[in-house]
Amino acid sequence: MALAQFEVQTVPAWKTLLIKSTRGAALIVGIYLILYAFYAYQQPRALSASSFASLMNNTAPLALAAAGQALVVISRGFDLSVAGVISICNVTLAVYPLEGPGGALMSALLCMAIGLTVGAVNGVLVAVLRLQSIAATLATMIICQGIALVILKAPGGSVANWIADEMTGRLAGVIPVSGLVVALVIGTWLLLRRSNFGLSLYAIGADEHSAALSGINTRRVRFLTFVIAGAIYGLAGFMLSAQTATGNPTAGTPLLMLSFAAVALGGTSLSGGKGGLFAAVMGAAVLMLLQKVLFSFGISSFYTGMFQGVALICAVVFSGLLTRLGEVK
Amino acid sequence: MTQTPEPTPFTQAGDTRTSAKISRDTISAVSVAVLCVLLLLSARLVSPALGSWTQVETVLVLGFFLVVLSYGQGLVILSGGLDLSLPATITLGGILATSWVGANDPNAWYLLPVVLMICGLVGLMSGIGVVWLKVPPFIMTMAMSIIVASALLGYTNGTPRGAAPTAAVALMKTELLGLPTPVIVLVAFVAMGWLFQSRSIYGRYLYAIGTNLDAARIAGVPVTMMQILPYVISAMCAGFVGIALVGYSSGATLRMGDDYLLPSIAAVVIGGSSILGGRGTNLGTVGGAILLTTLGTIISALGMEFGLRTVIEGSIVLFALLLLREELFQKLRNLWR
Repeated sequence: MALAQFEVQTVPAWKTLLIKSTRGAALIVGIYLILYAFYAYQQPRALSASSFASLMNNTAPLALAAAGQALVVISRGFDLSVAGVISICNVTLAVYPLEGPGGALMSALLCMAIGLTVGAVNGVLVAVLRLQSIAATLATMIICQGIALVILKAPGGSVANWIADEMTGRLAGVIPVSGLVVALVIGTWLLLRRSNFGLSLYAIGADEHSAALSGINTRRVRFLTFVIAGAIYGLAGFMLSAQTATGNPTAGTPLLMLSFAAVALGGTSLSGGKGGLFAAVMGAAVLMLLQKVLFSFGISSFYTGMFQGVALICAVVFSGLLTRLGEVK
Repeated sequence: MTQTPEPTPFTQAGDTRTSAKISRDTISAVSVAVLCVLLLLSARLVSPALGSWTQVETVLVLGFFLVVLSYGQGLVILSGGLDLSLPATITLGGILATSWVGANDPNAWYLLPVVLMICGLVGLMSGIGVVWLKVPPFIMTMAMSIIVASALLGYTNGTPRGAAPTAAVALMKTELLGLPTPVIVLVAFVAMGWLFQSRSIYGRYLYAIGTNLDAARIAGVPVTMMQILPYVISAMCAGFVGIALVGYSSGATLRMGDDYLLPSIAAVVIGGSSILGGRGTNLGTVGGAILLTTLGTIISALGMEFGLRTVIEGSIVLFALLLLREELFQKLRNLWR
């Protein structure tokens, strides 16, 4: 009887198809491809390696910021310190430029260390002292912005030439270096996702209490989440500096809201336990590509924000509808 | 007999009786007020020009913006949301007041309220998105902020024009009964805000919604209306701040609201509200806003650079958060008894 009842309630084929085809990052990748097709149609040059590389360079900082943010959001937290970390990294690289490949490596490590430190502070505040993540990271972000302003008062300075040239260049004339950095982070995440840490991350995001009862050390996982996210923000700051080649104490501020927008566009639920880094990166890519597409249609860059905002609301509403559709089964 | 309620779960979940609640809110409000006074008095040791009555007036005039703004933010946070669209709405108010109304428009007496209503419309849209489209408040207000900011960029073509309306200048730069007008308006505003939040049925509704939405719905609170209302009020407050800001600085810029978002949240948090909603008083928020402003004026009077000032502000927010932790209050209460 129960089986028969179950059969009656099966979802129509189109619904299953819709749910399957939009699961995970598929939806956002699809949107990206459609947008790119529009872009290529308007500007045939878009398919060349150089314009793809420049698009990648524009996307990389936001993509990395969104990747770190996604980690924290999956664990059901918010991390506002992303803007502060990126600003500190940017001014540090502009005030203390280190030339050559060795210098670049040192700079990258330095940025990640800055991110790790801020992340560790966030981790202690949220995981150990049990502050609300949004309030605690608000405080650390204000402090970080202040530190960035202490290091560099006004926009200026210049990032080492090697970083600015090589990190925005192309490997073998085809593969954009910035894309590789993002791919590296995504690759690490894919390895990490099925590990104990990755699974605990989702478990905590879905229901911290149950996660703790089933033996997960929630404090440690939460702490690690903020630390790893901080390191990724550091990389984002590094890539942003490579792209802008100059220092600005408020460089990270525009990325704060956009990083959340990218995470939400990627279908990661802000109430935690769902989503992924790759989807967030694609969300960032869509936001940046949208700018190019609008520009190619001759719409003033003034109005880019309107489209980004509307796209954000639509994406959240749409993914909410899909979730509800999935639950109806 | 099995229905007899056990008293223990209640004590474990935290004492929510009026006496306990009052003590928590009073502690935070009083400690913020004491901190303010101490700051002003200790500033006197550094420089005799500080800590005078004139400086108190300056702090109140400068604090005007943050107090009004954080009142709206406080209402939204109380109802369980968060308003990130404040910077864009401030700019909207400021730019409409200069570019659209202008300096000597004889119709300003009804145009300025219209500006406020346009700002309220932004809040209405945020509220509707949160309640009906079920978009999380964080995302919805952020999207509205991006949309409004870009619309303003397009409207002004990147360079805002026009001068502040005479009424706005009069609001910020005249004296009334021997006190600066903004101080008097501020006192009236705070009194009205207090009546609304702590003494009216709507304020009670907001506390109920912020504590437990489902319980509030079952208890007969008009949840839809009461969830949208804070966003509208918050947006109108922001619009008012925008108009006042152009009155104070005689011109609008596209980034005039940017520096106010974080302090508005910080003031609410310092004032002892829970960022999750359902807890906090507007007097605490007012205290938080005044404290932040006092600190800002003292630090800039000391000639400290802006970066250090920001670091100190952030540390104070952190300090307040750590002080206001739930366990600490539990311990204090246990010591008391």
